[in-house]
Amino acid sequence: MRRCNNFFQAYRYTEMSVLVLLSVLGVVLLYLGLFNNRGAVAGVGIAGLLAAFVLIASDWHLESPLFNGIIQFDTYARSFSLVMIVVTVLLFLFGIDYYAKVKENVAEQYALMVFSLVGGLLICSFTNLVVLFLGIEILSIPLYILAGGKRDSFRSGEAAFKYFLQGSFASAFLLMGLALIYGATASFDLAAVEAYSAVPANGQNMIFLLGLFLTIAGVAFKVAAVPFHFWSPDVYEGAPTLITAFMSTVVKTAAFAAFYRFIANLQLPGAVETMLVVMTICTLFLGNIVALRQTQFKRLMAYSSIAHTGFLLLAFLGTDARTPDVLFYYLGTYALATVGLFIVLTLAKRAALGDEHIRIFRGLFRSNPWIAVAALLMLLSLAGIPLTAGFVAKYRVFVLSLTNGYIWTTVLAVLMAVVGIYYYILVVREAFTPQEQETKPIVVAPLNWLVISICGAAVVVLGVMPGLLRM
Amino acid sequence: MLALFYLFAAISVISALIVVSARKPVNSVIALVVCFLSIAGHYVLLNAQFLAMVHVIVYTGAIMVLFLFVIMLLNLNKATEPMKSLGMRVAAITGGALLFITLAAAIRQGVHIESANPFDAGVGLVRTVGHVLFTEFLLPFEVSSVLFLSAIVGVVMLAKKEKHQPEAPVEPLTEAERARRTA
Repeated sequence: MRRCNNFFQAYRYTEMSVLVLLSVLGVVLLYLGLFNNRGAVAGVGIAGLLAAFVLIASDWHLESPLFNGIIQFDTYARSFSLVMIVVTVLLFLFGIDYYAKVKENVAEQYALMVFSLVGGLLICSFTNLVVLFLGIEILSIPLYILAGGKRDSFRSGEAAFKYFLQGSFASAFLLMGLALIYGATASFDLAAVEAYSAVPANGQNMIFLLGLFLTIAGVAFKVAAVPFHFWSPDVYEGAPTLITAFMSTVVKTAAFAAFYRFIANLQLPGAVETMLVVMTICTLFLGNIVALRQTQFKRLMAYSSIAHTGFLLLAFLGTDARTPDVLFYYLGTYALATVGLFIVLTLAKRAALGDEHIRIFRGLFRSNPWIAVAALLMLLSLAGIPLTAGFVAKYRVFVLSLTNGYIWTTVLAVLMAVVGIYYYILVVREAFTPQEQETKPIVVAPLNWLVISICGAAVVVLGVMPGLLRM
Repeated sequence: MLALFYLFAAISVISALIVVSARKPVNSVIALVVCFLSIAGHYVLLNAQFLAMVHVIVYTGAIMVLFLFVIMLLNLNKATEPMKSLGMRVAAITGGALLFITLAAAIRQGVHIESANPFDAGVGLVRTVGHVLFTEFLLPFEVSSVLFLSAIVGVVMLAKKEKHQPEAPVEPLTEAERARRTA
């Protein structure tokens, strides 16, 4: 067993230095805020993130448990960490333009995003339930603040407050669940909990069952699965667009990675499995059906995000060796498409003076054909049309759940995927309809153009060659 | 000892009920202080003196007293009930009742908890807690600094007075917002 003096040895391992690097990066960004140079803040942020990327990628197959096996940076954790870092870099690039007009607190917002990312890295790699809880809190608390980042906006404050209250409520459930699991198994160690669950009689232990229920409820809140989704449309709508994009990509990826890591090797008792199936069906159904009625783009994306949660949960049912890969591909491609779309939204919203109705995309193809095509590709990817990455992602999920015997759930999911195409096409139709009256032109800064192009190209390239994005 | 346990348990349950049912925020906060104190009593019964002291100092002493000040300074002590629709009430009661039934049923099924490790009288001493914190749980201990730092940054960010008016034009109301405000 490792002891205290190994703390300094542990720095030799890259995974530790990544955590240290990112934490220090956040502090450095805070200090850079003193100089009131927004470009430098974003630049240093991106440089730091790229350094973290290189550090993680350089020792790909090093799988060492750290700190008495409290975290383990295995291939699984590394892959998800890399996706999160790449997406954060894209968001920071977008941030240069996004924060150009903002006077105050820019450095703080970048720093909080980096802190949130540290939490994300922790919950990808936890092997101890204490780290799961702590990581989820580190992931969430900066978000509560970031959601209220637009201080002159009433909706932003409302979003922050709602997210904070409901998030604390979910944390209480999670904590209660973890405490009950500890009560039943006498260990916070994930491997010990897995070993405990492998004994069939233990599945009947009510304390353990309740612990699993409450823990899953707490994590399901983070991924916005029905019936724990109520926060997401309001928060998505009220939060600044950059933060909405961060929430629906980085945070979602981290939460799903943690969720799967938690249940991957657990022998789930029958009752818990039923709960997961019911949750999946409800999420698929509600997310897609309610999205049909949305006209505000951010709310539409929120319900689309709930719908995608449903598809991802489908991959959780009856897991096997392929599940991590399927999840990874799905989350990666989903994040890329979502980031691009939120940037397009910001640009269109600016031209429309803050309106978020989907009609603001009208005339996009005439004024900015390339942006419109990229947006089309990303929307088609989210809808799951062949030749885009979204299709491959959905297809893999369906194959996985079919081979694991969830036939009717899969049939429902396929139906819901078809329903989903409708509301994405609505947005596409707006973008390709010419605008009748004169409006402010949509201005695209070169960096934004670059990020949108990267995202648009990525969903096609990954759709044609899915092998490029795998663990 | 068992009698003491039941006494503390009764106090914590009753005061917790008062917290959620009290009409005036000040009564609610004072009930919460009582609840925290009785929980600290539980810690003492479990021989966790350090935890009990920290609990009293931090939660009861610092946080709850701060709460009281905030409520009194901002003059929030009005027994007003925010408007809640009937549907919301029904949903809340149904949800809460279902959770309660599940928990009660689970406990009725017969819960046998035997301690996995023999009871160690020194488990709650400062020395033991510190040792565990700096060996086994070193990483969580260190990494929680990130949590606190982001909380501090957030408080400063949200509470700081604007130096100058925002230059960006105020966003026009969206349709949904307009409807909400007029309603």
